[in-house]
Parts: sequence; structure tokens; C-alpha cells
Amino acid sequence: MSSLIANGLVHHVQDLGTGSAVPVVMAHGLVIGSLASWFFTAGPVLAQTRRVRMYDLRGHGRTARAPSGFDTRTLASDLDELTRDLPVFDLVGHSWGALVALRFARLHPGRVRRLVLVEGPLPPASAIEMTEFLAAGPEAMLESLPESLRAAVASGRRQAQRLVDSVIHLVRDTTLLADIRTEPEPEVTPLGGVMCVYGDASSCRAGGERFAKAIGAAFRVLPGGHYLHLDARAELATLIVDHLDG
Amino acid sequence: MTHAEILKIVEESLVEIAGDEILIAGPIAMTTSFNGDLELESIEFVALAEKLQQRFGEKVDFVGWISGKELDQIIGLTVGELVGFIETCLA
Repeated sequence: MSSLIANGLVHHVQDLGTGSAVPVVMAHGLVIGSLASWFFTAGPVLAQTRRVRMYDLRGHGRTARAPSGFDTRTLASDLDELTRDLPVFDLVGHSWGALVALRFARLHPGRVRRLVLVEGPLPPASAIEMTEFLAAGPEAMLESLPESLRAAVASGRRQAQRLVDSVIHLVRDTTLLADIRTEPEPEVTPLGGVMCVYGDASSCRAGGERFAKAIGAAFRVLPGGHYLHLDARAELATLIVDHLDG
Repeated sequence: MTHAEILKIVEESLVEIAGDEILIAGPIAMTTSFNGDLELESIEFVALAEKLQQRFGEKVDFVGWISGKELDQIIGLTVGELVGFIETCLA
């Protein structure tokens, strides 16, 4: 396993591609997400022309579990430590990973060139909805998955059990819910080089549209829901490449 | 390298990543599917691809192979398809 240490935690990291375009770092969403969210979707497309770094957030995928630190400031600090060897890079984040990317870009403006925020839960459809969603339990979360994944998970014992174990751990044994609930709203001042992408059926869309307008970001809509990297896999990859290379 | 030898390496790699429990339903065969039969998690499949990449080297482009597939093809992937791909790359 490729690993890097950030804030004392061993993080699972995957680097793809060696091209000369500006490197890109990709962050996934909470609980159901892992670096596989990008590895099987836009990651390899971007890797055709650049170096792509994907990693599992603390407590997710094959990164070490952590009792706390799911707020965007701590996760941005993890991201900082995981990217020390990279020159200026582009950042792509899905869901909470989008908020982490945004926070990182605000904290380290000299290190990020362009940003793609996919389905970021931005005000007003933000933290409160998300905590309700997570607190509703694994069944409700499964319901929100795209059909293909839901069928795969629901039909199986091992995958379903592992998913439930992971959700229970994160929701009951860590500060994740409290961290989301107490997360301050992101700064709303103009920020260059940002594109926000939402699914036409996503409950995050309205908040995202207002936020994009407020910070002067490009706003794009693709057919799909919150798991847009799966629902509009090819279209999202193309949008990201166009934004980063345009 | 023969079909059987590649299959053996895939099986060993799977056990290294997911533990012995992955063999609970019996030995891994060419018709075994990663998702439906083994119930491998997507992040475990990432780890498997990395392990096999290290084992077989640059001749075998797992990421390119996977990215050329639709999501439902990836979900339905069998051990035989993976072994066949590796075999073709090494030929």
C-alpha cells in the first residue's frame, strides 16, 4: 500500500499518471466515500496528461481510523501534509471533500491553481441536512446510493456488513457528526479559478448555485444526484478536464 | 506464465488484501466475480490493482484497462477476465 503520514495518521495514497500538466489532488466525500470514488471515475482520465494524487481521508478506506478531526480545518491540514512534495496543484473534491478543498485553497492560496467543487454541501443546504442524513443510519444512506451500487451492496453480506460497520464506527465512535454540525460556514468572498458542479436532482444544488454566484465561480449542472461522479461519470470527467486545461 | 500461475497470484494477492475470509465460499475460480461472489469493496479492488501492478510491472496497465470499462462492467468483473487481461499483456 502506498502510504504517507499526516498528523500522525498513516494515509492510503494512490498516485496515477506522469504527464506534464499541473498535477491534481482529488478528495472524496465522507462515510461512503474513499479514494475509489475517483479511482474508478475521473482519476484515470485526468491521469492521461498529469500526475493525479488520490487519498483516503482519515477514518475512511484504507487510511487509519481516527477518533476526531473531521472538520475541514483538520482535514485541510492532513491534505497539506500529504501534498508537501507537490508543486502548485489543482484540487478536486466531492461532497465534504469539496469543502476540504475549498478550505485548503483559502488557507494556502499560493499552492492551488484551480478548484473543482463537486456536490459540495454549501449553505443553506449544508451541514444540518448532512448530519440528519448520516444520523438516519445505514439504510437511509443506502437508499441514496445510485441504483447499481445499491443493488450490489444490498445483495451481499460482506460488503453490506463492512459498510454498516464503517458507518457505525464513524457515527458512534468518532466526532464526525459533531464536527459537521459545528463546521463554520465557508468564507464567501471572490475566489478565482473555481468551478462548482451539481447534479440536477441533488438537494445540494440550490445552495451550491447561490454560493458559486457569491464567490464568482463557474456553475455547471449535470444529470444525476449527489453521487455525480457515478451518475455522470464520463460527463463529469470531461467537465473537470476542460476546466483544468481551459 | 500460465493461466493457472496467474490465477494463483491473483488469489494470493486477494488474500493479502482482504484476508482468508475472502476464500470462505471456496477457492477462487475463473468464473468468480469480484463483486457478486467475493464481495470485494471498491477500495480493496484499488489495492488489488496496485499489488498486481507491482507484481507484473508496467506491461500490465490495470488503470487504463479499468478506466476503459463502464461502471456496470467493473461491477460485474470476473477473476477470469482479469487473468485473461494479464495473460494478454504478458504474451
